[in-house]
Amino acid sequence: MVKPVLRAVGLTKRHGNGCSRCYELTGPLFDRNVCPDCHSVVACHNISFELFPQEVLGIVGESGSGKSTVIQLLNFNLEADGGELYADIPNGNQSKLFGQNLEGKNLFSLNSFRKRQLRNFIIGVVHQHPHLGLRMNVSAGGNIAERLLMAEWRHVGRMRERSAELLKKTEVPIDRMDEPPRNFSGGMQQRVQIAKALSNEPMLLLLDEVTSGLDVSVQARVLDLIRNLQHDLKVTTIVVSHDLGVIRMLTSRTMVMKNGQIVESGLTDQILEDPQHPYTQLLVTSALS
Amino acid sequence: MNLSTWLQQQEKNGHQAYYTFAFIDEGAKREIRRKTLKAIAIPGYQVPFGSRDMPIARGWGTGGLQLTLALIGPEDILKVIDQGADDSVNAVNIKKFVSQVTGVRLTNQVQEATLIQTRHRIPEEPLREGQILVFQVPIPEPLRAVEPSERETRRMHGEADYSRMWLHLYENIVQFKEIMIGSRYPVMVHNRFMMDPSPIPRWDNPRLHMAEGLYLFGAGREKRIYAVPPYTSVKSIEFEDYKFRVEDFGGVACSRCGRTNTFLNEIIDDESGKRTFICSDTAFCSKL
Repeated sequence: MVKPVLRAVGLTKRHGNGCSRCYELTGPLFDRNVCPDCHSVVACHNISFELFPQEVLGIVGESGSGKSTVIQLLNFNLEADGGELYADIPNGNQSKLFGQNLEGKNLFSLNSFRKRQLRNFIIGVVHQHPHLGLRMNVSAGGNIAERLLMAEWRHVGRMRERSAELLKKTEVPIDRMDEPPRNFSGGMQQRVQIAKALSNEPMLLLLDEVTSGLDVSVQARVLDLIRNLQHDLKVTTIVVSHDLGVIRMLTSRTMVMKNGQIVESGLTDQILEDPQHPYTQLLVTSALS
Repeated sequence: MNLSTWLQQQEKNGHQAYYTFAFIDEGAKREIRRKTLKAIAIPGYQVPFGSRDMPIARGWGTGGLQLTLALIGPEDILKVIDQGADDSVNAVNIKKFVSQVTGVRLTNQVQEATLIQTRHRIPEEPLREGQILVFQVPIPEPLRAVEPSERETRRMHGEADYSRMWLHLYENIVQFKEIMIGSRYPVMVHNRFMMDPSPIPRWDNPRLHMAEGLYLFGAGREKRIYAVPPYTSVKSIEFEDYKFRVEDFGGVACSRCGRTNTFLNEIIDDESGKRTFICSDTAFCSKL
């Protein structure tokens, strides 16, 4: 049997003071994620899933459903209020983490230094807005180099080679490598961000609404690029989107989220062709075709 | 001679002590010594301390001065230099002040001194064991240039996350084909903390590495003390293909002593416009 690379158990994140009834009184059943008693926001609750090698998992849902919160928890940007996260890190990558064995260890219980190492060596993330993932005043090549520097590369020539290689792969003209991304168009900025996320060969790639801010033709090119990279690099990926078209094109398995909880999950085709939950049915029927 | 005999002697000579020995009160001295010990125990780590008001303004060497006053004893021999010179205004004033409140002997000779306070230079002559060099530091945070938030820089030190500084060097190389940091060139202390060596020229950086003397850094305005203990590894950061290098004077000799292996100041004559070079370390220059 194939072992999952990532296993999340009951991820929970709550903003606010919280009370004992927060989780009972929120969720898709009540159609709200704000606790009526204490007015805390339950961003996500009891999210469990397994992610297998080379798999592409989609998370779909309307805005405010907690999709991005899940990504932020996985990227250690937010501290989880509950739940556990386990990773099966291949031996090749383990040496990067100073040989620390993380098998059977809850990643949320690691200290911030270890978490940062995981973020630097194991995870690549692409945000919806390029300015969240890129330094707009630093050259495009420098942006990619930053991640390499975090992963302890110390050779300028080799870093430039790697940056050029990645920019070529993501179809950014190499002669613009030393220009800052603020001079670039939105689509190009997004491609630089993808190059940056891929720079140190992450084990897990998180794509958070990567095409949402782009117009349709550019969207298509970026999606094409991601699909090609998927094919070439076979990196395990989580794709978050509110756009069913994106989910259909990129993912093999999907979870549908609403009000901070998973309402349905399964094979993407199955969910899109034969939705079971009323919310998913609504989502599928309201998609433009 | 211990402190009480010193005080008795002062009284016998008819000097009334208006201040405690070395001006600052004993509680403050104890605090500064405690923080100094902590700084020595964690090489390169910036220890906060309660910087006191001094008779000179903050930003004029109060950090160094407080360290000097907290450490000095009646039998110490003090040397004070300002950018290598023993007789520039800042150095002379600090020397006068310390000798007034302690009565210690002053010197210009590195070997003779037990305690040296310096602004922006390390003497050309190496320190030996037992000597202490106190630096005046304007900006103790090496990451300040790349990150304005103190909270964030502390997190970066805590997690040894120095990629931002490395990125700064990388961008320098991309833009200018070399690292453009003149003074305050960042160093890694004991492979753990990135440290600001105070605005010493790059020329002096190699002398921080595995030195025999103790280096103490005081920032009065920013309220930080940090230290490099003797025999500690201090490396200037560099890339594998773009190495750290010191200033190159192109073989010019000092016009006064004729040496070619010292850090030189360029002096332009106002009338003739002629350029001459002279050792920055005046005491070393005068030594034959």
